[in-house]
Amino acid sequence: MKKSHRRGPSPSVPISTLADRAAEALQHERYKEAVELYKLVICQDPRPEWKQALADAYAGRARALAAKGMFKEAAMVLENTLAPDGTLQDPLLYLKCLIRQGQQQQQKAAAYVLQHVGSGRTLPAIEQTSLEELAAALLVSVPQLPAPAGTTPSEQTRWLELAAVAREALATWVNGASAEEMDRQLSRISLRSAFKPARLLLKCLTAGPQDADRTRQLLETIRPGSPFFPFKQAVEAAVIGGSALDAGGWARLAPVQRTFVAETRGLPAEAAELLVRFSEAARIGPGALFAYLLKQPDLPQTEVRSACLNLLPQIPDRLPQFEKSFGPLSKLEQCRIQALAAEARGDWEKAERSWRATAAAIASEGGEQAKLAQGVIFRHLARLAADHSEIEGDGYGLLDDAVIFYLQRSHETDPEHIPTVLELIRLYREGGRHSDWHRVVDDAIQHFPDDSQMLLQATESAVARKAYKKAAGFARRLLQIDPINPGVRRQMIELQVAHARKQVRAKRPDLAAKELSGAAEWDRPDAPSAVLRIARGLVALQTGQEGQAEAWLREGVNLAGGGVAGWFQVALEAELMKSGSRARLRVELARARETPPSKDAVMAIVAVLGRPEAGENKRAVSELLLAMHAWLLQAAAFRWSPAEFQALAEMFARAEAFDLLQEYTRAAHRREPAEPTLRFYEIVARTRGEASRLSISEMDALEQMANAAADRRDFHMANRIQRYMVGDDGARSGRRRSTAALLDELDEGDVDEIMVSMLAEMAGKSGDKLRRLVGDFGRQGAVAHLIEEVRSSSFGRSMPEPMLRELFEAMVAAAAVDDKRRRQRSSARQVLP
Amino acid sequence: MRDAFTVLGVDENADDAEIRRRYLSLVRDFPPDRAPDRFQEYRAAYDALSDERKRLEAKLLHTNEVALSRLSMAALRAASSGSSRATKRTVTALLAEGIMRTATD
Repeated sequence: MKKSHRRGPSPSVPISTLADRAAEALQHERYKEAVELYKLVICQDPRPEWKQALADAYAGRARALAAKGMFKEAAMVLENTLAPDGTLQDPLLYLKCLIRQGQQQQQKAAAYVLQHVGSGRTLPAIEQTSLEELAAALLVSVPQLPAPAGTTPSEQTRWLELAAVAREALATWVNGASAEEMDRQLSRISLRSAFKPARLLLKCLTAGPQDADRTRQLLETIRPGSPFFPFKQAVEAAVIGGSALDAGGWARLAPVQRTFVAETRGLPAEAAELLVRFSEAARIGPGALFAYLLKQPDLPQTEVRSACLNLLPQIPDRLPQFEKSFGPLSKLEQCRIQALAAEARGDWEKAERSWRATAAAIASEGGEQAKLAQGVIFRHLARLAADHSEIEGDGYGLLDDAVIFYLQRSHETDPEHIPTVLELIRLYREGGRHSDWHRVVDDAIQHFPDDSQMLLQATESAVARKAYKKAAGFARRLLQIDPINPGVRRQMIELQVAHARKQVRAKRPDLAAKELSGAAEWDRPDAPSAVLRIARGLVALQTGQEGQAEAWLREGVNLAGGGVAGWFQVALEAELMKSGSRARLRVELARARETPPSKDAVMAIVAVLGRPEAGENKRAVSELLLAMHAWLLQAAAFRWSPAEFQALAEMFARAEAFDLLQEYTRAAHRREPAEPTLRFYEIVARTRGEASRLSISEMDALEQMANAAADRRDFHMANRIQRYMVGDDGARSGRRRSTAALLDELDEGDVDEIMVSMLAEMAGKSGDKLRRLVGDFGRQGAVAHLIEEVRSSSFGRSMPEPMLRELFEAMVAAAAVDDKRRRQRSSARQVLP
Repeated sequence: MRDAFTVLGVDENADDAEIRRRYLSLVRDFPPDRAPDRFQEYRAAYDALSDERKRLEAKLLHTNEVALSRLSMAALRAASSGSSRATKRTVTALLAEGIMRTATD
């Protein structure tokens, strides 16, 4: 059979083409391919530049291999670049690869480095210094000095002589030579050579601790990247002591450095053994150290107890041994050790129980300190709950609820801790629990009246409740503390503009003008507000102040981006105010549209339509967009980034401009046929935003798209698709809402009806049955089973799935907790606060 | 990452003033321009112990090695500084440690 494919280029490929392909492969870091191509090129024409390029390709390949930890292979690849003078393409990398292969390759590394320094070849300054330092350290430490080789033996001889002198000096010091003898030896090591660090280190060791400043000065000349640096740290700790050798300094040293310090300071055998055991503990585990410590009656027992206590969370089975030696541990310590041990092995249910028991034990101690400690534990449980669903809080098993539950407990025990209050506020707010949000803010502002973060929260809460005067009061107080705060200034301006809008609609432009002149109080000259100027201009038109109105409008338009973007904002504001000058302003907008669209102008319009007030009057927005249709259509073919496209598409969907959405999606599809989100917007445009118009195949496609989005961790898109499919398009994306938040959205009658129907449906589902379901299908399976069952009923069909899921998750979790409590009662071992 | 008590070398029951005093003495010996990494480590440890709640957190939620380090110190203080010599084996191992660290950087 004939081979259909052959490897490599055909012999008829011209050499210039091969060289181009090789250069391209090298440029794009396809080193293996570049090596093969350059080899072919050089076979035909061994030009020096191509030989150099081949060496570069080998070096690149070696770097790639070394990055994967394949040091042996990397060194072998680099050996292909051997030059006639015995040097290689990337000598430093070669040395590192040899060294990382282990002790036996260090002799080879020393031989190579001698060859390299003897060649007279120089590298860029930093690399040269690193290579020479490494050469010196290798030549001092290898068992045998390599024999000289190569073309410039004089340089190699110099290095070998210096290395021999340094080795002799080290041996002399080890053998206990006197200071005079050492001085004689050290004077033979040139301070201009790479062996200088060896001379300085031995000098410091010989001089001892008499002149700590001088010693420190000498040692500081050895830089952190030097191979002599760990030696320097050990000498510093051994000779200077002080903070270099306190508890922190000692813990910072590597085992070999500790051994050096112990030997240099002449420790007695028992003390040296103790230190060796400590060093070993890190390697062989805490059990051996624990056992060793218990057998040391001569050591200070308070310290031994403290050291052993800190080892217990790693070896909780040694608790009885500990208590036998040091007496019984308090309930608090027992529970704390169990909690830390449970965390270490990832047993989160046990960790939760033990931390709660610890908090209960602390509470029984009483006092302020105990309350702070409880607060610390509950905050820790809240953090754990955010990461581990096994932490259940009050037992309902909803992730956010467990976090909130523990934050509430922390807040009760330590009400002065501001970050807890802020976190609770954030969670309530994002979870749609508005009444809790406002309640906590109201309490907090009483408690922390001068805290800028609380004042900001209070302002936002008051704005959300449309309590304008209250919001203004908080904002004024906040600006006294933090006069710049652009966020609160912008918010107050927008609030007063909204108020003025209502007054214009009520045909009270005089009151609106007064309101807006009050809003100008919040404006700062360095960050002027476009919204305020446009509103003032429109109100001035109503009150007949033409000149002033013109000036404010022009200023506002410029601040809003000028041209179409600026006049669009004016036209929208005029619609929202139902201003009498709407027709005249639309003419201005039409004149601005004579300028072709730009990306910036279109995105400025998207930003304007993203503001909350645009949502207040959908009809006005739709009409304006209709007028802008032709102009916006010109921008459909622009090269929008995925983020820009998504913002545009969402804006069109919100404004129900489905024709524009369709055009933009088609144009995007032509540009990026593989973009996964486009099909979704095509479907939204076709169904005109109504999930009830979805065909079966479209529903299947959307399901697949949501799963694919979740797989690529695009949860925003996955949620967006799900919301569209359940017809909950206006719902907040992202975090799961709590049951409480879902119930907030229903009126009392709805809730009663749901509960009655739910109870009727669930009449047969006793706790035992629920537990059996969980046993059969697992928690998630049980929830899915229940949803399926209710959805098949007449009542269930009208219920949104997220709500059913929340309710059934709560029921299943409650049944599980009930079960757990029964088991706990029967064992009567755990104490819950 | 070592615990904050061990990094600063202070007792688990040290108060604000003691921790501050210790931190200032350490950063005087190892200022940021001379020992940036050490300074960062001291700074982070000081931040972790700078108020009562954080100290409680460090004591309750973590274990520490400060007692072990104190035991080592007690043993070391019994010996005079620089009075003896290390073995050839240790010196060679120390150089090998430096060579390996440089190769790993």
